[in-house]
Amino acid sequence: MSIEKMELVTLVGKMNELDLCLDRCCESGCFHIEPAFSSVGTANGLTLLNEKNGYSALLKEFERLASELGITLGETDYSDYAPRTPEEFAQRAEEINHSFEQLNMQRKEAAQKISEMNGAVVQINHLKGMNSDFKEIFSCKYVASRIGRLPTDNLEKLDYYDENFFFIPFETQDLFCWGMYFCPDDEKAIIDDLFRSMYFERITLPDFVEGDADMALRKLTQDIASQQQIVDSCTKQIEVISQQAKQEILKAYSKLCYLHATFELRKKVGFMSGKFYIKGFVPKRDKKRFNELMQGFESLVVSYMPPDADANCTPPTILKNSWFTRPFRMLVEMYGLPNYNGFNPTAFVAVTYTLLFGIMFGDLGQGFLVVLLGLIVGKKLNKDAGGMMIRCGLSSMVFGTLYGSVFGYEDLLDPLFEQLGTDFLPLKIFKQTNFILITAVAIGVALIILSMMINIYIGFKQRDYEKAIFGCNGIAGLVFYSSLAVGLVGTLMFDMKIMSAPFIIFLIVIPLVCIFCRVPFSIAVKYKKFRLSADEDEKMTIGGFIVENFFEMFEFMLSYISNTMSFLRVGGFVLSHAGMMLVVMTLMEGASAAAQPIVLVIGNAFVMAMEGMIVAIQIIRLEFYEIFSRFNESDGVPFEPVGAKFSVQGE
Amino acid sequence: MLDGLSSNATVSKIRAIHGKMLTKDNYHEMLTKRSVPEIAEYLSTTPRFKDIMKDIDPNTVHRGFLETLLEKENFDTYIRLCQFQQLDKVPFFDFLIEKIEINCILMLINSINTGVDRSYLDDLPGYIINHTKLDLLELSKANDFNELTRLLHGTAYHKVLLRVPLSDDGTVDYTECERRLRTQYYTNIIREAEEAFPDSQSDEVVRMVKADIDFLNQINAFRMKAYFNYSAQEIKKHQIKISNIAKKLDSYYELETPEQMLEWLNRYEAQSDITDVSILEVGMQREKFRRLKHYIYRSFNAPVVLYAFTQLCDFETANIFHIIEGIRYGVDPTFIENNILIC
Repeated sequence: MSIEKMELVTLVGKMNELDLCLDRCCESGCFHIEPAFSSVGTANGLTLLNEKNGYSALLKEFERLASELGITLGETDYSDYAPRTPEEFAQRAEEINHSFEQLNMQRKEAAQKISEMNGAVVQINHLKGMNSDFKEIFSCKYVASRIGRLPTDNLEKLDYYDENFFFIPFETQDLFCWGMYFCPDDEKAIIDDLFRSMYFERITLPDFVEGDADMALRKLTQDIASQQQIVDSCTKQIEVISQQAKQEILKAYSKLCYLHATFELRKKVGFMSGKFYIKGFVPKRDKKRFNELMQGFESLVVSYMPPDADANCTPPTILKNSWFTRPFRMLVEMYGLPNYNGFNPTAFVAVTYTLLFGIMFGDLGQGFLVVLLGLIVGKKLNKDAGGMMIRCGLSSMVFGTLYGSVFGYEDLLDPLFEQLGTDFLPLKIFKQTNFILITAVAIGVALIILSMMINIYIGFKQRDYEKAIFGCNGIAGLVFYSSLAVGLVGTLMFDMKIMSAPFIIFLIVIPLVCIFCRVPFSIAVKYKKFRLSADEDEKMTIGGFIVENFFEMFEFMLSYISNTMSFLRVGGFVLSHAGMMLVVMTLMEGASAAAQPIVLVIGNAFVMAMEGMIVAIQIIRLEFYEIFSRFNESDGVPFEPVGAKFSVQGE
Repeated sequence: MLDGLSSNATVSKIRAIHGKMLTKDNYHEMLTKRSVPEIAEYLSTTPRFKDIMKDIDPNTVHRGFLETLLEKENFDTYIRLCQFQQLDKVPFFDFLIEKIEINCILMLINSINTGVDRSYLDDLPGYIINHTKLDLLELSKANDFNELTRLLHGTAYHKVLLRVPLSDDGTVDYTECERRLRTQYYTNIIREAEEAFPDSQSDEVVRMVKADIDFLNQINAFRMKAYFNYSAQEIKKHQIKISNIAKKLDSYYELETPEQMLEWLNRYEAQSDITDVSILEVGMQREKFRRLKHYIYRSFNAPVVLYAFTQLCDFETANIFHIIEGIRYGVDPTFIENNILIC
């Protein structure tokens, strides 16, 4: 339940062994590659291999073939597929293409004609009032005619022009009016210019349009049908070819994906004096297996170093989790991974999330259903989400038992507890409201104190004294917050007079002063120097220091109060859940005997869906804002082992 | 109380539409386009203009029609906003229609002066025809200025234009017509605002309209000084004057050089320094843009917010037109971007 240890690996060998070496790195599944150098300044004579990837164009070519043959690309085992070089792949692509090229051309031509004729149909549909033969109209010797659409706003203007023309509207839409204008042939230049100035969009009917609008439509429909037959016949023949070529295309594409991806890795490989240089990280537990894979090379030298040996590389983070905590890593990853030297909070999240969910959504019956749902989700959809649901459901069942609640029946378990002789159980939620709310805040205080303790641990581990000792989440913050909590609880709830002068001075005022002066104090401890700002170049005046820290202190105080009060929602949701089930029960009692089971089922389903979602989201909020913000620094780099991931480029 | 509430609903609606207006990033992306069809294609994907562009084929649309469509969208939005809570029953809210009417009359005067037949009808925006009290199509029958004034008989513009002297060749002084028409326009909307709205509301409207007049006067005075070297007297003669307007600009008109005008504007008007005379107009327009945006977000008065919004819409279309023109003539995108009105 910590962070996986890493080793920095460098691989140096002769260029003729580069491809094989990269293949082995991919095969290992545990090698996180880093660029050979992070900047030209650190290159030391190395140059990056910036070659053109010869497989890129071939990937596109095979995608085109698959698309034209109607093959859906998917990952396939290609171990028995022989071609490897770009030339061999290109030859295979050419041969497959040749087998259906003729049919494909024929199909495309027919499809093109259909497209043109469909375009004409759309245009002629707008001219349905036209009852004369188009050819006759266009062949008039003294009259010119134009078909098209005019902006509707300009229709009214037509009456005010003195020129010799008339316009026949066929169809008026929102923005345009489809129609036709006629004018004397010798004036057509002027009239065309006039209509252009009104943004008339002229259309030209294709030569194959004959007769009036209705006749043209009929003829076009027949022609489209005959062209469609050609398309269908070609498609059938291509389908046969497709069946024969399918396996080969799938294998070739999968292999190309792999070769393309491994070739892409070359962009991170350094090159100098005929030798390649690869750098990356390997988890310590996989070191032996990785080493075995790197055997059998003539020139390859593999060196292992501590992860922090190269200041230009940040070691990646792998969270080590047990079976119980593993599903909750998705929450940690959602917030951001901790860095390599940080703290893995997954276990903490797993325990707190499960606990809080159970408290807020306590119902034996509904919890059981959540467990069942979790099993299904885990099998069919998402393993981690299912795992979380199972753990939360179990917790809900435990707390449901404590509350004595089964599908909203609050008295069902009473006889059982009577037999056991426990007077304080089950907890009657509406009779113990104050207890529930105070417990919720107490849980909050405990979790905040725990978060601070984790922060102190991380601070000491990283030798960051501001964080560990003087910060608002360090020892000073912990002493201040816990003393204030103890003082207030003792005084207000138990009437104990513990807020004495020494208590206030030593446990409240001095920690506050430490937080206020956290920067100069931590510098004094670490460097034995006095400076007001962490930045050596910044000239911080005493006035500036006081003003800046006054406002920061104000923010810290607010965060202590708001974060603590935020946990009231835990109690709130306990009440809300019980309240909603009370409504379901009241509705059920009001319904007829036949409808009662239906109301019970629908009511429970509704509460489970709505309340379950809200509770899940609210706990995430509590984890991220109230807890993570105190210690978790999400600046880690995820571990991404090199490998060829199958992906369809065009999608 | 209820009036206040109804006004708030319109204000909220305007702010929502304002949120859809093109941003700096949109303009930046438009500047990466290389042709008018590409711009049209891009505009048809923006929430602001996608509805008006839905029946348009970006590959064949005429540039002029594209520009008309954008203006139509602005006008239709204004009409919808006025009708939303029946604000159009208050005469003040005809301010945009009146402004377009004046533009049409000026267009006709220009057409008469230059003798270009038909240009008025060609350029007349069709979307306005059914919204004006003037019969704009009938005006197209006017072949000279006298005929125009006769056709305008019975309208508010008749008296205004009657006072403009006619020259021997039958033309009229276009700038004088424009000055008189605009003076009457601003006087009217101020009077209508004072009559229709309570004091606090009308005060804000009047303040905004007066700032608008000042802006026009400042820009015009600068142009007269920089490009025609007019004297202070000549400049004053061409200004829009309405009663009760402050005389603070008198000292501005009397300045000797455009550089002094720039200094004066930087001292009294501009929020941020305008560094050079060559960018004075863009700088001033940016100041106005900032002021209008301020009204949109700070004011709760529908007349103020609507008036500011219509002007921001004009700025937006002007920006698009600049980009289209720039791209058509192969102007450097950086140069176009520097002249776009955004802040």
